[in-house]
Amino acid sequence: MIKLPALLAAVLMAMSTALHAEEKLVVYNWAEYIPESTVADFEKETGIKVEYSTYENNEVMYSKIKLQKGKGYDIVVPSAYLVSKMRQEGLLQKIDKTKLTNLKNLSPDLLDKPYDPGNGYSLPYLWGSTGIGVNSKEIDPSTITSWADLWDEKWQGKLLLTDDVREVFHMALKKNGFSTNSTNPDEVKVAYEDLQKLMPNVLVFNADAPREPFMAGDVNLGMIWSGEVIMAQADNPDIHYVFPKEGAGFWVDSFVIPVGAENVESAHKFIDYMLRPEVGQKVVEELGYSTPNAAAKALLSEELQNNPVIFPSAEIMKTAEFQNDIGDAMKLYDGYWEKLKTGE
Amino acid sequence: MNLLNFRRFAIVLTLVWLGLFVLVPHVLVLLTSVMSPDAQHLAVWPLTLNSWERLFEPVYAEVFWRSLWLSTLTTVICLVLGYPFAYIVAKLPNVWRGVLLFLMIVPFWTNSLIRTYAIKLILGNKGLVNAALLGTGVVDEPLQLLYTPFAVVFGLVYVLLPFMVLPLVSSFDKLDSTLLEAAQDLGASFWARFRLIIVPLTMPGIIAGSLMVFLPAMGMFYVADLLGGAKNLLLGNIIKNQFLVVRDWPFGAAFSVALIVIMAGLLWLYFLANRRINRQGGLDDESL
Amino acid sequence: MKAFKWSFIIAIFAYLYLPIGILVINSFNASKYGYEWKGFTFEWYAKLWENEALTQAFLNSLLVASLAATAATLIGTLMALALHRYRFPLKATASSLLFIVMMSPDIVLAITFLVIFIALGIQLGFWSLLIAHITFCLPFVVITVYAQLKGFDKYLLEAAQDLGASESRIFRLIILPLVFPAIVAGWLLSFTLSLDDVIISSFVTGPSFEILPIRVFSMVKVGVSPEVNVLATLLLAISLFLVTLSTLLLRRKH
Repeated sequence: MIKLPALLAAVLMAMSTALHAEEKLVVYNWAEYIPESTVADFEKETGIKVEYSTYENNEVMYSKIKLQKGKGYDIVVPSAYLVSKMRQEGLLQKIDKTKLTNLKNLSPDLLDKPYDPGNGYSLPYLWGSTGIGVNSKEIDPSTITSWADLWDEKWQGKLLLTDDVREVFHMALKKNGFSTNSTNPDEVKVAYEDLQKLMPNVLVFNADAPREPFMAGDVNLGMIWSGEVIMAQADNPDIHYVFPKEGAGFWVDSFVIPVGAENVESAHKFIDYMLRPEVGQKVVEELGYSTPNAAAKALLSEELQNNPVIFPSAEIMKTAEFQNDIGDAMKLYDGYWEKLKTGE
Repeated sequence: MNLLNFRRFAIVLTLVWLGLFVLVPHVLVLLTSVMSPDAQHLAVWPLTLNSWERLFEPVYAEVFWRSLWLSTLTTVICLVLGYPFAYIVAKLPNVWRGVLLFLMIVPFWTNSLIRTYAIKLILGNKGLVNAALLGTGVVDEPLQLLYTPFAVVFGLVYVLLPFMVLPLVSSFDKLDSTLLEAAQDLGASFWARFRLIIVPLTMPGIIAGSLMVFLPAMGMFYVADLLGGAKNLLLGNIIKNQFLVVRDWPFGAAFSVALIVIMAGLLWLYFLANRRINRQGGLDDESL
Repeated sequence: MKAFKWSFIIAIFAYLYLPIGILVINSFNASKYGYEWKGFTFEWYAKLWENEALTQAFLNSLLVASLAATAATLIGTLMALALHRYRFPLKATASSLLFIVMMSPDIVLAITFLVIFIALGIQLGFWSLLIAHITFCLPFVVITVYAQLKGFDKYLLEAAQDLGASESRIFRLIILPLVFPAIVAGWLLSFTLSLDDVIISSFVTGPSFEILPIRVFSMVKVGVSPEVNVLATLLLAISLFLVTLSTLLLRRKH
């Protein structure tokens, strides 16, 4: 009887060494945020076994990386503000650009940004915006032009907000003419007080894909991500996307390599693979988010290239403000956020 | 293997496992709750009661109450549904009984998270319930069921009902039916039999089942995340948020300890109740 | 009265199976989102076949559930035996600890596991997940086996002891066969609880080992894919098959 645990242990050992035997790569990302077939093609071509691990939001990802001191994962896809935070905390390692042949495909527009000057530690994968989603069957989209419109009393108990502190505060900060990366306590307080006024209108802080409640007919108005709208429109063309005039929220998700990564070589191969034009093209076609890859964009159909939801006009992009790390001010936001959700 | 070794192995295994993975972690969480938060190292010296003081801020007190209220409601509904159900099931012939109890746990194999997603399709504006209500003309406009506290309770009852039923069934199993027959022969009404015999004798099952619904209900963050609306409803959401998002471990730990204290209080009541009806509690409880 | 009884039972089961029924129907629904019926299809079954990452997460869930159930049954049986047959220091503490594990809300257990794994420097992943699952299943095994142990004649064991049987022999030849039904029940319960768990897993799992609920919960950016319905359907089919099989076997035995 006693032999059994020992046997079990032996089997497990054998299994875990078997896992280690082949060349592998641990990717940590939102689920399905890289098309399944893209991963499979990469595996087929390189013989590298990809283990695709997932998280539900940036914060959970950061907590897990932090807890394990950057060990265990080879590729992670954080949003810009976390790239800057993780870089400063020494959780990332430098990307060796000599190993990348497809770097030239990236459009300079999204390179060398304040969150990672010179892109020493990160290379952009996808970007997108957070704007207003409207179901045109119920609401005339032309009546919604700004974040401020959401504050209208007639939407009581109707709105969907994303369950993301930075995005929700972005809305109120912009409405009041402040920067989305404001660290000024007075400005944040003003935004918080404004959000308190919005709360009676809020039906739900959405924790899964925001297009679903729109498609299910549970909400007709609220915040939504650009890619979600593209995906939703395939099934339901009534769902419209509005760039609020105060400014939509813009974010970039980038590839980084954690400092404790074990398969650095494979990680570079993977990044280089993802930077290929035809791979970038496929990603946009499947996910509906925007690519920073100029060569990939050129391969897209005319229709997608000219879709203002995926590739907003130069006018919108000129004023676009991307999310950045705001350091210790985050605590301030978190405190207000908790109060907001508790109903104060 | 001789006597001493087998025996020693069993004892050492018991103590080491429970010590390492239950006792020490609980002590560590208690310790964490009185340490200072730190962005780099999660929790550091010096000791402080800061987190505990924050626990009593009105914002959090509100979550406590809301959480307690929703859990109580869930428990009562589970009891009202589960009690007669357990009674009926316990009186069935053995084969049926086995099959029904098994069917009760089969849904668990489909992970509860996935089932919770399905509940959204039932309660939504175009979901089954509203379709039925609109179709029969009970209402003209779809009712807002999803993203309300109602939806959370619906989901909690759904996930936790089997935990109420299983202890109750085993409690009914032990109910001596000759007692009831005697009472009936002596002219006791159904209500009298129910109140004076059935309920007291199944009390351990009622309490055990209620605890196994009430306590987990406060922690089910994913049910509140997916079905709940604009407000933080459950302690579980706050605790998860503190540990994995805000990373204020001491504060999150203080919440967990508060939950443990509530649990300890209820368990104490449970032991008292068990003693009153002359049974042993804990692992010796026959109703578990 | 009888009609009322059965309609009540049916109503409860309808409540329990309604969401699962929806999953099953949607696994054949050509509509990706399942808000309405758009025709019958096997497309998602084919897609699941290709979705290696999702099937891997699903298989990992099954692997952890069966390993955790097996280990919890082994350890739990020994614990039940120790608590029932032997005297040792801290015995009362040990049984209280088991009771605490059983009653603790998952969220509290999740925190305690996370804290101990970090303190011990155990990497979050397969092992942390397994240990956590074994631990929260333990009390259910112990209780089932313990109840069975209490039920049988202790003179039988004493007689065996007097005749010079070693403790492990007694265990193997007498105790084990007697408590076997309880062991099976304990295994099944552990397997079920482990497969159902969301909360504890989401705290203690890490890289390179992902299980189904975490994967599903992370489909934030693109929405839950219909392949998940297929998995749910397959699981239901397997479990119903097993129930039917075991009922038939039991029938034959009687």
